[in-house]
Amino acid sequence: MASSSSITQEQVELVVRTMAETAIKNEAYFSELDAVMGDADFGVSLAGGFKAVLNGWDNFDKSSIGSFLLSVAKEITSNTGGCSGPVWGTLFMRCGMAFRGKTDINIEEIIAAFKSAIEGIMKRGGASLGDKTLVDALDAMVRSYERSNADGEPILTAFKKASDAAVETRETTKDWVAKRGRQSFTGDRSIGTYDPGIVAVGDMTKAIVEALGC
Amino acid sequence: MKKFVNDPANFVKEMFEGIYLANKDKLKWVPEYNILCRADLPKDRVVVMQGSGSGHEPAHSMIVGPGMLDACCPGNIFAAPPMDYVYECTKLIANDHGVLHLINNYQGDRMAWDMAREMAEADGIKVGVVIIDDDVSVTNSLYTVGRRGVAGNFFVIKAVGAAAANGATLEELVELGKRVNSQVRSMGVALSSCTPPAKGAPIFEIGDDEIEVGIGIHGEPGRRRDKIRPAKEIIEEVFTAVHDDLPFEKGDRVALMINGMGGTPVSELYLLYGLAAKKAEEKGLRIAKNYVGNYCTSLEMEGFSLTMLKLDYTLETLLNEPAEIPIRVF
Repeated sequence: MASSSSITQEQVELVVRTMAETAIKNEAYFSELDAVMGDADFGVSLAGGFKAVLNGWDNFDKSSIGSFLLSVAKEITSNTGGCSGPVWGTLFMRCGMAFRGKTDINIEEIIAAFKSAIEGIMKRGGASLGDKTLVDALDAMVRSYERSNADGEPILTAFKKASDAAVETRETTKDWVAKRGRQSFTGDRSIGTYDPGIVAVGDMTKAIVEALGC
Repeated sequence: MKKFVNDPANFVKEMFEGIYLANKDKLKWVPEYNILCRADLPKDRVVVMQGSGSGHEPAHSMIVGPGMLDACCPGNIFAAPPMDYVYECTKLIANDHGVLHLINNYQGDRMAWDMAREMAEADGIKVGVVIIDDDVSVTNSLYTVGRRGVAGNFFVIKAVGAAAANGATLEELVELGKRVNSQVRSMGVALSSCTPPAKGAPIFEIGDDEIEVGIGIHGEPGRRRDKIRPAKEIIEEVFTAVHDDLPFEKGDRVALMINGMGGTPVSELYLLYGLAAKKAEEKGLRIAKNYVGNYCTSLEMEGFSLTMLKLDYTLETLLNEPAEIPIRVF
């Protein structure tokens, strides 16, 4: 049941499909961003993983949000090149484990899942907050969810605000030094460039907000 | 490039098929996930598995058998297995006693195995982890955070394989595996490069008169490029690097291995062993066990690595326990 305080499995599936479509549509753009400082494979890697998700979609275990997201995690991890596979795979895996057996989820459950995902990604890739990675965008989203939760806002409003927070991160982190991944090999030269992972999170959440009609 | 190959993309799969067909009564093969496991999987004790990349045969796919690995799930040539290979393999072989993951210390392996462990644990499977990083050549490498795992793997697998067969618990096996890893050291030298079938070209260039000192098993650079020298000078350098790293001490009982990288004839390996054994004697070490042959290779690379393990009574006993694997002479 859709309500103002939770989202349904159907909506979660729409979120993932929208993420996939965004990754595939922006394949070239994300790679161009990566070419500035990295090895120009980010867009191709990410699109490859999400194409596999769409291909495998009909065979996913959709008995709950958790099982669905774990199926997504397996496809992403196994089909995304470079370090993006384990990083994005961990995002879906930790959320999948947090939503085991659930067919709808509320904002508090989403906050807990995001925190677990951020912790997992940091552990997996060795990134810290402030290293100019997608962790910074996800962290901004969590803090926005927490404010919305404290204010008792409807869940779709919380999504809209969290998306704004994620999009904002791309500008606030622009002048930081990249400390993880291939971007970090360039040291200070990464100042003034956008992090492709952070941009991808922002673009995806923007598309999600539109798709869900937040 | 000349190789015995059909479609290079199917190289690993066809190799697995060959191993399976030669051991149909002893092995089970799951082609979707590159899994080879014992047909008679033990249910009454901890099971032991490893993956890492293919191209290092007989490690890991040809050392599944009683007293060694219970299962393996390698990735493509020189590529870590994807997370789902490890997860599916873990689920397939799991029992109430737990599953031991033996992981080579490369970034791709670490991440894939870490994720698979998390997922398996969420399913209620008990998983223990031992990370292998025996290469003294370099402190960090192309695909690693920290030292690389190379031929020292053999000793970790042999010891925990024997202990698992004797009914050791998961905690005891983790402890044992870590202990073996902490007492084993390796270093390699390459004379030539090697060619992964799907790549079709050598993974690095090396001159006719050059050697790579401290080579990795995926062609990663070592300490330096050098000119070819007499074998005794090469052994002198490699033995000293391995010996001084632990360090081994006068009176230690050791296992000494000269491992071929795939393309070096057994004659040269024994020549190297003789030189290394004399060095060990000079240092006052007692060689209780020796190993000469291809244990952990890099396809057809010409080269060798020297591995030395400090023994104690428990380890020596475990190395002497019977084991049976698909590659066999008799």
